[in-house]
Amino acid sequence: MIRAGQGVQALRGRIARPGAGRRTEGPFGLARRSPVAAVGAGVIAIVVLLALAADLITPHGPVAQIASPLLRPGHGFIAGTDELGRDELSRLIFGARVSLYVGVLAVSIALAGGASTGIVAGFYGGWLDNALMRAMDILFSLPAIVLAIAITSILGPSLTNAMIAIGIVYAPTFARIARGPTLAVMNLAYIEAARAIGAPNWTIILRHVLPNVSAPLLVQTTVSLSTAILTEAALSFLGVGTQPPTASWGLMLNAARQYMLIDPWIAILPGVAIALTVLGFNLLGDGLRDLLDPRIPTM
Amino acid sequence: MRYLLRRLVWMAAALLGVSVLIFLLVRLLPGTIIDILAGTEGQLSREQRLQILHSFGLDRPLPVQYVLWAWNLLHGNLGWSFRTSQPVAPLLVSRLPVTVELALLSAACVTLLGLPLGIVASVTRSVRLKGFVQVVGLLGLSIPNFWIALALIILASYAFRWGPALIYVPPWQDPWVNAQQMFLPVLSLALGLAAVVLRMTRSSMLEVLGQEYVKVARAKGLAGQTVLVRHALRNALIPIVTVLGLQTGFLLGGVVINEQIFGLPGLGWTLLNGVYQRDYPVVQGAVMLFAATFVMINLLVDLAYTYLDPRIRFQ
Repeated sequence: MIRAGQGVQALRGRIARPGAGRRTEGPFGLARRSPVAAVGAGVIAIVVLLALAADLITPHGPVAQIASPLLRPGHGFIAGTDELGRDELSRLIFGARVSLYVGVLAVSIALAGGASTGIVAGFYGGWLDNALMRAMDILFSLPAIVLAIAITSILGPSLTNAMIAIGIVYAPTFARIARGPTLAVMNLAYIEAARAIGAPNWTIILRHVLPNVSAPLLVQTTVSLSTAILTEAALSFLGVGTQPPTASWGLMLNAARQYMLIDPWIAILPGVAIALTVLGFNLLGDGLRDLLDPRIPTM
Repeated sequence: MRYLLRRLVWMAAALLGVSVLIFLLVRLLPGTIIDILAGTEGQLSREQRLQILHSFGLDRPLPVQYVLWAWNLLHGNLGWSFRTSQPVAPLLVSRLPVTVELALLSAACVTLLGLPLGIVASVTRSVRLKGFVQVVGLLGLSIPNFWIALALIILASYAFRWGPALIYVPPWQDPWVNAQQMFLPVLSLALGLAAVVLRMTRSSMLEVLGQEYVKVARAKGLAGQTVLVRHALRNALIPIVTVLGLQTGFLLGGVVINEQIFGLPGLGWTLLNGVYQRDYPVVQGAVMLFAATFVMINLLVDLAYTYLDPRIRFQ
């Protein structure tokens, strides 16, 4: 939830640690060195598997109206039915698909756009640095949700537009995180050496700058996945994200608002699904941060 | 002083940037504003359409439109609502107190919950308490606050058979009814954010408590409490205040969502209804107001640094 790098001069210096990206030795190595990260990875793996296999394992489709509405859990339906008589369990599993899809693509947009902006800004410096980072600052002068609402309201409410909006909202964080370590390595001898032997700029960026930036970016990517999933849920909950009849956790909570005093389960289960998935990414993020940068203490 | 001036200039520049951004976004709408305004595209003749365009000044070049809009903005004129034709600025101002009340109460709750718990967690030797604080911290980070809100409503009505009055009552009319209405929104907002503050307080305190000067203070026989508050907390506060400042974004975002859930007619509620009704002057105005508030709070946070740590001097 912490939008790292926002005016955090105190934290900026700590992220730059050249050579922090040590490779882990498969899943078991990770489990030994950071049980926290391993638990997180396990939770995420389960959610991903469920999402991928949704068509095979769900008893009913996500939109099929197959029973009377608002059945409590039990009665032949493990998680009951929703307000339109659709199988709640099937919708929960298909909802994982939407959350992960939007989360991953939105963070990819933010990572690609933000990180390249930050690296270019740090690498070239001067007016370009100033112009790019000030532009990022402008995006930073709006609360994330408000900016996302503004963007989706203008693009029109849909799953794709929510994804684009979240991507834009999170890009500045990546830009700031990528710029710091880039600035730090620009003064180092091996960059000068690479320049001296005539390496083109893009080679220097890819081979010498990027490896130094990748560790903090990896941590930020994991953390952003959790906040992106929360943001998608919030946008869909407010009706400006995923549209019915698609099964999205946020949308299910939105629909549940009207019926939750009749059947609390339809308001409880989607929230549990969101919390578990986000918790998985947070655990992984915490663990990775401890592994990659021991100087930032986390819990 | 010089620093403050420069920051104020930059703040104005950032808001100018936001205004250009919002203006362009709204003008880049698919379909013209006319279609939204009239909603009866087919029934309007070409002349009628041009006349409407002219009456809204939409037939002029984009930069001219922007300058006009920005000029009006500076004079406190945010345009007129598409739906009700009322001026937007007074509408937003009338909605502001609800949002400010919700945000301030939540911020106070976050600090009162997060800070002491974080300090306790950093000094306690009880494994159970440490574990509890860690779990609470992670859960608070992972559970969406709008879901906490729903869960609290369900809990209140099922367990306590209680629900607040539906129509918002300002605190100066009936403080007791108002407090009841604010209780659940504030609580659901504060719980998640307090967890974040708690995490940061704990890790920040742990870092400071390992420092030499804390050991020295202990060694020279100062009372444990004095060491904790005067030596440790004072130094741990900077990262905590940073996080508190960063959380304002989430706080304001949460305010928008919670106003919607609890039907509190504040700024966020107005923004969302503007979005639902495609009332763009209202959306533009509300977003600008949010940006101004957010930028201002960030400035205050930066200024708080110099107060907390006189070593920090901005150039």
